[in-house]
Amino acid sequence: MKRYDAIVIGGGHNGLITAAYLARAKKSVLVLERRPRVGGAAVTEEIFPGFKFTMFSYVVSLLRPEIIRDLDLPRHGLHILPLESTVTPMENGDYLAAWADHDETRRELCRHSLRDAEAYDEYGRLMHFMAQAVKPILSMVPPDPTSFAPGDLAGLLKLGKHFRGLGGERLHALVKLMTMSSADFLDEWFETDVLKATKSASGIIGTFLGPRSPGTAYVLLHHYMGELDGVFRAWGFAKGGTGAVSEAIASAARSFGAEIRCDAGVSKVLVRNGRATGVVLENGDEVSAGIVASSLDPRRTFLQLLESNELPAEFVADIKRFKFRGSSGKVNLALDSLPSFSCMPGIGRQHRGAFSISPSLDYVERAYDDAKYGEFSRRPYMDIVFPSMIDPGMAPPGKHVMSIFVQYAPYHLNGGWTDAKREAFGDTVVNTVESFAPGFKSKILHRQVITPLDIEKITGLSEGNIFAGELALHQLFFLRPAPGWAKFATPVRGFYQCGSGTHPGGGIMGASGRLAAMRILKDGA
Amino acid sequence: MSYDAIVIGAGANGLVAAHYLARAGKRLVVVEQHQVPDLSADIGWVPPRVIRDLGLNALRLEQPDPWLTIPLDGGGTLELSRDMARSVEAIRRVSPADAAKWPDFCARIRSLAGVLERLYLVPAPDIETRDPRELARIAGLGLYVRRLGKQTVIDLARVLPMSIAELLDDWFENDALKGALGALGIWHLKQGPRAGGTAFNFLHHHVGSPAGVFRPVQSNVTQTLNETKRVEVRRGSRATVLAENGRATGVVLENGETILAPLVVSSAPPRATLQPLAIELYPDFARAVGNIKARGVVARGTLTLGQAPAYSNLCIAPTLDYLERAYDDAKYGRASAAPYVEVQRTDGNRLELHVQYVPPGTQDGLEQRVAQILNVRPDQVKLQAAEESLYHGELTLDQILFMRPVPGWSRYRTPIEGLYLCGSGTHPGGGIPGAAGRNAAREIL
Repeated sequence: MKRYDAIVIGGGHNGLITAAYLARAKKSVLVLERRPRVGGAAVTEEIFPGFKFTMFSYVVSLLRPEIIRDLDLPRHGLHILPLESTVTPMENGDYLAAWADHDETRRELCRHSLRDAEAYDEYGRLMHFMAQAVKPILSMVPPDPTSFAPGDLAGLLKLGKHFRGLGGERLHALVKLMTMSSADFLDEWFETDVLKATKSASGIIGTFLGPRSPGTAYVLLHHYMGELDGVFRAWGFAKGGTGAVSEAIASAARSFGAEIRCDAGVSKVLVRNGRATGVVLENGDEVSAGIVASSLDPRRTFLQLLESNELPAEFVADIKRFKFRGSSGKVNLALDSLPSFSCMPGIGRQHRGAFSISPSLDYVERAYDDAKYGEFSRRPYMDIVFPSMIDPGMAPPGKHVMSIFVQYAPYHLNGGWTDAKREAFGDTVVNTVESFAPGFKSKILHRQVITPLDIEKITGLSEGNIFAGELALHQLFFLRPAPGWAKFATPVRGFYQCGSGTHPGGGIMGASGRLAAMRILKDGA
Repeated sequence: MSYDAIVIGAGANGLVAAHYLARAGKRLVVVEQHQVPDLSADIGWVPPRVIRDLGLNALRLEQPDPWLTIPLDGGGTLELSRDMARSVEAIRRVSPADAAKWPDFCARIRSLAGVLERLYLVPAPDIETRDPRELARIAGLGLYVRRLGKQTVIDLARVLPMSIAELLDDWFENDALKGALGALGIWHLKQGPRAGGTAFNFLHHHVGSPAGVFRPVQSNVTQTLNETKRVEVRRGSRATVLAENGRATGVVLENGETILAPLVVSSAPPRATLQPLAIELYPDFARAVGNIKARGVVARGTLTLGQAPAYSNLCIAPTLDYLERAYDDAKYGRASAAPYVEVQRTDGNRLELHVQYVPPGTQDGLEQRVAQILNVRPDQVKLQAAEESLYHGELTLDQILFMRPVPGWSRYRTPIEGLYLCGSGTHPGGGIPGAAGRNAAREIL
């Protein structure tokens, strides 16, 4: 039987990226994916005949440019189309819009507040700079501050130098971004409530936090990190959906010689004398390899694929403590025609961008309050896009698909999720949209409602957390996923972690997968 | 009469700064807006160095024992004592699992608070500095922390940004215990127990207490300093700082009287001190001062009872969710329908109340609600809501160390030459009477 240099467990974007980099370095690599298709949470599926959906994640902007270059992804079919605008309907019937054209956005802001329009450019400059300052951290292996090893000390020194190089004012802004709530941070800049609401709403995505919870300001930076364009909201949409991103990476990996096997779930990692030697598949087959890398989240990687006696007790305790708490759901709709929003009636360019249902800070905060006590939001925050407006191939001619990202839908719902609760949740979402776009309900042909429990069941992400573990300050950098084990190695020799549960984690960024591959190659796989 | 220095505010920090300056030979006067000294106890750790340096022999430090009485749901109480074994025994009656973890929890938290104590007795590290001495000091601090062991370093990084709810949920299962401990994490904050950084606030208020005691010590440090009469105090007039061409020249009192001195040290809130001088400040600094978060959420007052109660410190915070819901009201600008209430008995058998959350101007019906919670008549409860944070700036992670009172100005100086800050609004903040005053005085000297 063939023995591989490396096996990668899980064919999500990070697993595929690790595999591609390893294969590029002339290793024989096998990717094992439990589902019939690659992509993990970045998949495009034809759920209703003719209607294609990006089932879970729906926008791209954070995919590291070095990965796009190294793997030559455009040649493998990656084509990113810009999402041009964001319209935030307000409860008084007005709206706040941000357009691709900066001057137009400014004029729109002036309509709400001259002061905010002034502050907006300065804010944008600062955030843009801060994003540039943080970027190197994303491509860096976190040094361990508890270690006295020369490599760690040098890493810490380098980190210290980098931060001091920013200068006082920007260093302070960074501290504020890392520790403040997005509401408090935005209060220092703006006075228009709806502007603060729509901006802070983007800070809560995937977290179990509200806009007034400390730690949410940092995510504001993500919007300035995208390398698509320097626009208000640099998110893009992949042609063919996010599944096309996964397919492109898979194609790149194959072109380097990697083998990808679907319908091949892994049940155990084989460990002999403290060293990983291969895996056992769910069907009982064994495959051996010199290196095994898992892109599953930390809980499944360590508590499911390994026996607890193969790991130090302290480490197991740390992994058990790692928080997931999925908080978001998704509603995918097939539409007969596009809905008209009462704040901006008719069908037009606004449908090529996003609609953010975040009319006020209190609205979003109240949505969080419901979730805190174990209920889904009665009036949820929603981020709506119409992928078929950007990529007509997603729906039959004249018809449309609508993707609604919904928060909050807590994984730990009071009484647990049932089919009835799922439908009730779907109704809440649809009714809330209806209140901003009367007549919308009559256009729905099909509806798919995805709860955090569904996300867990389908993708395997524990508690349906879309970031494979919460992006909270105490779960980042050298603490992700556990102190002392944030450098992609694990207590089991030859066994590595390469998923979003490691630094830097989260979103379709791919940095974890790339850094893990670098580490594996450095260790001389 | 001419002075070398004027100190604004005769609270603990103002008086401590004044005494240190006087000790160094400065002729000074303290100006205080209130005519009558405040009788309430000082809450928090008085650093032993301050007591020693200023020879405060009459100082009384009090930490009641048991230090907390927690009413339980089905009747009865949970009493936490200074003696570890007694606390363990008491907790065992509500949760054997929690009792088993208690000593370890107390030890871990104690060692983290020890790190803060060390940081609090010196000015905050200046991370922008190029001065080799300051760099060496920062390196020394780093080395000191790492010598405490790997676990402490990890705990510091993990615990400081955490929410107190997460920290307590990691350790304990009993709601009453978690509620009572969690209350310390939200002290004087407009945040709920699920907010990141509340674990830091918990540690901050543990500073100076022995392991296993999670309520700050009470003292009469302000009163003691007042009684020593070593410095001149002028009461009953509010002072505003005078500045000319970027230099402090003295203060003007409400009655129009001007006192001149080249050095003015203010223990008043940074914003109150600096905003009248806005014209002398450059815009970024003025904006930073305007952005200081100091939202009032606490009502304090007294409880009058016919006879001394059986407890010395009673805490009404039955669960973490109770605290969170109390905070939810404040988020939307209301006083908590069911507030967190703490009754502290001070040495003179006064019963002092701490009620949270009460945003300014929302006091209607509060005394009735608190009376109902405490099972007394409304006229036995007297409460006054604070307009601003009693700490002159909330102790959130973005407003501590080198970010306090405003980023980059943690050295007690201001852009106005000769004007210094020494109050709770500066490092290390409220709840540690005298620490800021001492650090500021040393920085001035």
